[in-house]
Amino acid sequence: MTPLVRLDGVGFAYPNAAPGRTRFEIRDLSFAVAPGEVLGLIGPNAAGKTTVIHLLSKVLTPSRGEIFVEGEPLRSLGRAEVARRVAVVPQDVAPGFPYTVGELVLMGRFAHAPGRFFESAADARVAREAMRLTGVETLAGETLGRLSGGERQRVVLARALAQEPRLLLLDEPTAHMDLRYQAECVGLLRRLNREQGLGILLVSHDLNMAAELSDRLLLMSGGAAVTMGTPEEVLQESTLERVYGCRVVVDKHPATRRPTVNVAWPDR
Amino acid sequence: MTTSLRALAFCLLLFPGSAWGLEVVDQTGRALTLLAPPRRIVSLVPSVTEILFAIGAQDALAGVTDFCDFPSEAKRKPSVGGMINPSLEALVTLKPDLVVATRSGNRAETFDQLKRLRLPVYLVDPISVDDVMRLVTALGELTGHRDGAAAVTGDLERRIKAVEERVAGRPRPRTLYVLWPDPLIVPGRDALVSELIARAGGESVTTDQGAGYPRMSLEAAVARAPEVIILASHGGGTPVGRDKWERLESLPAVKSKRLYTADGSVMHRYGPRVVDGIESLARLIHPEAFVK
Amino acid sequence: MTGPKKLLAVCAGLALVLGLVALLSLLVGSARVAPGAIVDLVMGRGPVEGTERVVILGIRLPRIAAAALAGGALAVAGAGFQALTRNPLAEPSILGVSAGAAFGVVLAQISGLGQGLVEALGLTAFAFAGALVAGVSVYVIAATGRGLPVHTLLLAGVIVGIFFSAAITVLISLVDTNRLGGVIHWLLGNLAPIPAGALGVFAAVTALGVWLVLGKARALNLLALGEEGAQELGVDAERLKRRIFAGSALLTGAVVAFVGPIGFVGLIVPHALRMLVGPDNRVLIPAAVLGGGVFLLAADTLARTVVAPAELSVGVITSFCGAPFFIYLLRSRAGRVMP
Repeated sequence: MTPLVRLDGVGFAYPNAAPGRTRFEIRDLSFAVAPGEVLGLIGPNAAGKTTVIHLLSKVLTPSRGEIFVEGEPLRSLGRAEVARRVAVVPQDVAPGFPYTVGELVLMGRFAHAPGRFFESAADARVAREAMRLTGVETLAGETLGRLSGGERQRVVLARALAQEPRLLLLDEPTAHMDLRYQAECVGLLRRLNREQGLGILLVSHDLNMAAELSDRLLLMSGGAAVTMGTPEEVLQESTLERVYGCRVVVDKHPATRRPTVNVAWPDR
Repeated sequence: MTTSLRALAFCLLLFPGSAWGLEVVDQTGRALTLLAPPRRIVSLVPSVTEILFAIGAQDALAGVTDFCDFPSEAKRKPSVGGMINPSLEALVTLKPDLVVATRSGNRAETFDQLKRLRLPVYLVDPISVDDVMRLVTALGELTGHRDGAAAVTGDLERRIKAVEERVAGRPRPRTLYVLWPDPLIVPGRDALVSELIARAGGESVTTDQGAGYPRMSLEAAVARAPEVIILASHGGGTPVGRDKWERLESLPAVKSKRLYTADGSVMHRYGPRVVDGIESLARLIHPEAFVK
Repeated sequence: MTGPKKLLAVCAGLALVLGLVALLSLLVGSARVAPGAIVDLVMGRGPVEGTERVVILGIRLPRIAAAALAGGALAVAGAGFQALTRNPLAEPSILGVSAGAAFGVVLAQISGLGQGLVEALGLTAFAFAGALVAGVSVYVIAATGRGLPVHTLLLAGVIVGIFFSAAITVLISLVDTNRLGGVIHWLLGNLAPIPAGALGVFAAVTALGVWLVLGKARALNLLALGEEGAQELGVDAERLKRRIFAGSALLTGAVVAFVGPIGFVGLIVPHALRMLVGPDNRVLIPAAVLGGGVFLLAADTLARTVVAPAELSVGVITSFCGAPFFIYLLRSRAGRVMP
């Protein structure tokens, strides 16, 4: 079965880095995401996680290696083609002008008919459905400034869903969010994954949330893959302590039995 | 000769029935053809307005600008606005058969617009006193007031000659004419005022500063050690900066108290009053020549 | 489908307003012409000769056309720059193009490069040359191997604008006092009747510029999410930026070339319209074409009637009238300005 995305020996360096700073790199990264799989990308800061998202959405181009989307090389696909298959849900969106929620979600339809001046009735239907799925259809006439952080995130998610992608790339979807939103978010993503067969690549600092949602985890550090496998396989105390540089205790979630990572707070 | 008068058979052939066809060359060398002596002239140049009144052609003057303030009857003529931004509509409504304009003072765009509206434009560009005389004569030819023009030029020539005789042979004091004090603007080469000073028996210290009315640094002006300083006033009142000059006590002009004021409007218009300018300058520069 | 319907409604409304303003403008002026005569002349009836014909068809109508065209061009250029830079306060002059064009014209006026050459080529050619030099300079300064970063574009534009403004000041300080008035008058921004041939060229260039911006209005909306955000949605951001820059610069250069530098229109009109019709460029840009025309035409009508027969510079009117209007709009619809 053709993987949804496959990275093959990918390396990346920023061309114009500040002098004196080592050029950031992704070094020899190879992995694949199967259709309908949820892959969690975890690791300390500057591990290269966000860069992976940019490489997969073709915002950045790899310096070495090749990326394949549904078997086709990414470099041969046009931007609109990429956007039809891969949708990014960034951490936050702050449009420079006061577009309404409805307008923003409709923007997700651009890649399907870039030549059209106005969106079609079919586009409007898809957008409405996306808003329904994320529970923001009543906010269609509002501007982002009036919404809470959680609502804004759901709008961005709706826009990504409107792209009708095969793969969703999420960058820190629950950062700065309260518990209720975190729970809603996990539930929503899980539903989308199960009901729509949507592949998900999730970047998060929240190891427990990633462990809960992901089929597999990829642990990165310093631009390279450290280990990849099921949450149980990856979230080992010795591995985490080596990569994160602090003591942790790995336990099991009382309800779901998934591994939970707890920091051993110092100097008690 | 800047005006050529020819009854062209060509004109007569082209416009059967017209007994008067005039081809005129204006002061910039452009030729224009008029079918009849102009009866409705719009003057965009204050000095031309003055000349037209002086030669007795004011009845042919249909419109003037806001700046045409001499003689006072000129202010009663309908105005078309400023020299730089006259209203085309107002101009056209006056139904002129000739518009007189100048290259220095009116804009080229105005001239283009008038051409586009097919209004005959007569451009004037006087630089010297002789040009003024020629302009008076040309306007006299144009409006059929040759006698009036001749009277004016005759009178002007007589007065100029009188002044020149009075100041002839006298030593020429170094003269500084201040058109504007700050920034210091002085008459240079080709400026009318430079010629007026020369005719009035003075030697302008600024003729080498460039063409027209260029700027000059105060230091350079002071370095010329002028013996006579004339400050131009523009519309009554003491000119700005007189005290500034009075403080330069080392200057010969200040030491001998030869710091004068002159009426600028008379010196800068290319009209009959330039002679008033020459006369007043001569009285300032050579007061001893006018003692009765 | 609210998009097309909204576009139609907005355009119809603004076209009506433009028509009314144009009609009013046709009826007033330094010369008195009876409304009946005006209607006759516009309809093609009426005397073949005569002052009224010249005033209405030779002076007022071309001036109205020039005002409507210039206002629309400036408003679209402003909307384009604002979307390109993601800054609602961007203005056509911010990219240095109008300063470059103005420099070209001032240079031509002052040096009177062999009178024949100036007359033949016309000041428009000099203005376009200046606009081109400025636009290309900005582009070359700002463009890197990876594309056209917006913040560098803004800086480069400001620098180029300052350079040409300084150059203009140098020229002004050297010019003969007699010519100074004319140059300064031009720099204030004035509308004058343009001959039919030139008006046709102006209209064609404006149409091209508007097409460049309007044709990509949908993608331009996505640019509000940032270049990365737009790219993630399938937009070729670099090509889009180049096209919008070219279109807006072309429009700005054309206005300066044919009419002169008129400020404020490109800043206020798109901003005010955005408050009224929303930020969707597919509606905003067509609205700007019409709304800009309304604004500048109204301002120019005021400029030529308020102190008749003398005339004020239209740039003076746009500044004086635009600011209070903008303040009122800002206060009454504060929520719609920023997200």
